[in-house]
Amino acid sequence: MSEMTGRGTGSPSPAGTSPPPAMPDEGPQVSRTLDESRTQIEAAIEQRLRQRSRRNRRIYLLIRIVSLIIVLAAWQYYGSRSTPVIFDPLTRVLGALADLFRNHGLASALWYSVWTFAIGYTVGVAAGVALGMCLGAYRRAEAAVGLYVYALYATPMVAIVPLLSIWLGFGVLTQELIIALFVLFPCVVSVSYGVRNIDGDLLEVARSLRMGRASLWRHVLLPGTVPYIATGAAQGVAMGLVGMFIAEIFTQLSGLGNLLETAAQTYHTDQALAVLLVIMALGVILRGLITLVQRKVAPWAK
Amino acid sequence: MPDRALPETPATAPPAALDAAGGRIDCANVYKWFPGGIVLEDVSLTVETGQFVCIVGPSGCGKTTLLRMIAGLAEVDHGQVSIGGAPVTGPDRRVAVVFQHFGLFPWKTVQRNVALPLHLAKTPRAEAESRVSDAIRTVGLTGHERKYPAQLSGGMKQRAGLARALATAPDVLLMDEPFAAVDAQVREVLQEDLLALRDRLRQTIVFITHSIDEAITLGDRIIVMGTRPGRIVRDVLVPIEQPRTIAQVRRHPAYTDLREEIWQQLRQSAAEQAGEPVEQAGGA
Repeated sequence: MSEMTGRGTGSPSPAGTSPPPAMPDEGPQVSRTLDESRTQIEAAIEQRLRQRSRRNRRIYLLIRIVSLIIVLAAWQYYGSRSTPVIFDPLTRVLGALADLFRNHGLASALWYSVWTFAIGYTVGVAAGVALGMCLGAYRRAEAAVGLYVYALYATPMVAIVPLLSIWLGFGVLTQELIIALFVLFPCVVSVSYGVRNIDGDLLEVARSLRMGRASLWRHVLLPGTVPYIATGAAQGVAMGLVGMFIAEIFTQLSGLGNLLETAAQTYHTDQALAVLLVIMALGVILRGLITLVQRKVAPWAK
Repeated sequence: MPDRALPETPATAPPAALDAAGGRIDCANVYKWFPGGIVLEDVSLTVETGQFVCIVGPSGCGKTTLLRMIAGLAEVDHGQVSIGGAPVTGPDRRVAVVFQHFGLFPWKTVQRNVALPLHLAKTPRAEAESRVSDAIRTVGLTGHERKYPAQLSGGMKQRAGLARALATAPDVLLMDEPFAAVDAQVREVLQEDLLALRDRLRQTIVFITHSIDEAITLGDRIIVMGTRPGRIVRDVLVPIEQPRTIAQVRRHPAYTDLREEIWQQLRQSAAEQAGEPVEQAGGA
């Protein structure tokens, strides 16, 4: 448990860097040398572990590349042997992608989608985190609205989309709201779970330090929930993209979903697959961004 | 800024005041009930300012509960606990606790963990900084200030926990099995360091342990507790002079006898408990 040091220890020489406290010069010498040899052993083990993890990371990267090559090659092979309407080889899909960019407004559709997504996602995450915090921290809030949140969480959001468009029409606002709703619930659930699962020992420490409510939030509850916020936000990306597509297909306004729908209805399978590629890339990039942000904001958490 | 007019505070915080009553702990006829039964029965204990008391006892004897009551973290069901003459009604700023689980906030560096109580008490910045670096130096963690708890070994974590407790210069230091979660070699080093610190810090210390050796090594006085219900079964002074080292303690003629005596006491109360028909219904 205690021997692991994750990263950031630079060159490991803890034996030299921690001068022992002032001591009378008799007995402690024995234990002191014991401790030092121990820290040296620890340092050696650490270094080996770090080397091993570095080697492992290289192996994982290699596996990833090989797997990507195999998948793309298989795609190309089966695509070229199949009817164009059913499936297309990678090369043709990439050609369609370029064509979509040049002649069918993929760039503006992408821009529109990303922008709508950004607004809906931000609203969804913000509301989800706030609501999740309240539900997790305050029993009374949970008693008051918990039931509805869990009921809505269990409801397939798709079922609400037609209703929303009845109430709000087919505008951008509807699309943003749909995305926000898709994002909201994974965030609420993850964050409220996170707040409720703050280490009870730490809450006792907080009590012994006589923290008030504001300090408790600032020093314990908020930072302790950051990993759960990140989890909720990452799940929110996946859910939000689903919401975005559904909203765009349903409202037939514009954006990637609309482009995909049009391509499919006119049997341009290569174009449809190209849009699919774009959306996949979008998802991967967004998740990567969240991991990056998390590492920046919460360097203590893995 | 009103404090600007004040003369600069000295770099080293003065050790806890040695006035007679400041760190005195009084427990008078203390009881504690849990739904399952009585945890503490009629515990009375007075610890004088500056005394180092170790409380030993088997698990379930309520020693941690007693400590939590002194810390103001657990309610006293009957009787009274007071510190420096004032009844304990909740966590007190004159008291600092060192936890078995270290109690460090994983999202704060060593520096920030140690500074937290001072920050919460709105200590002026310059003073807080010097106190924090003093405390960190005292426990031998200089050079590790910027590390997160996950980057520290168990022994270093508890050093950080101790530094946090010392930074506030409390009158009373409560330690709840602080070395139980580190391995044997490190534990000995920590004990040795605590003995060495003892000379410089004149806090009243209540130290919970289930190791008789640890109690004899560290304490001026040992309270032995028995179970079911938790109560004090023995109160002995350790006849080994301070300052001392582990080696000196082990070589001391009184060590073996005292160890044997306490062990017998613990065994006896365990036997009594096993021999008694536990909780007879109705009383046949």
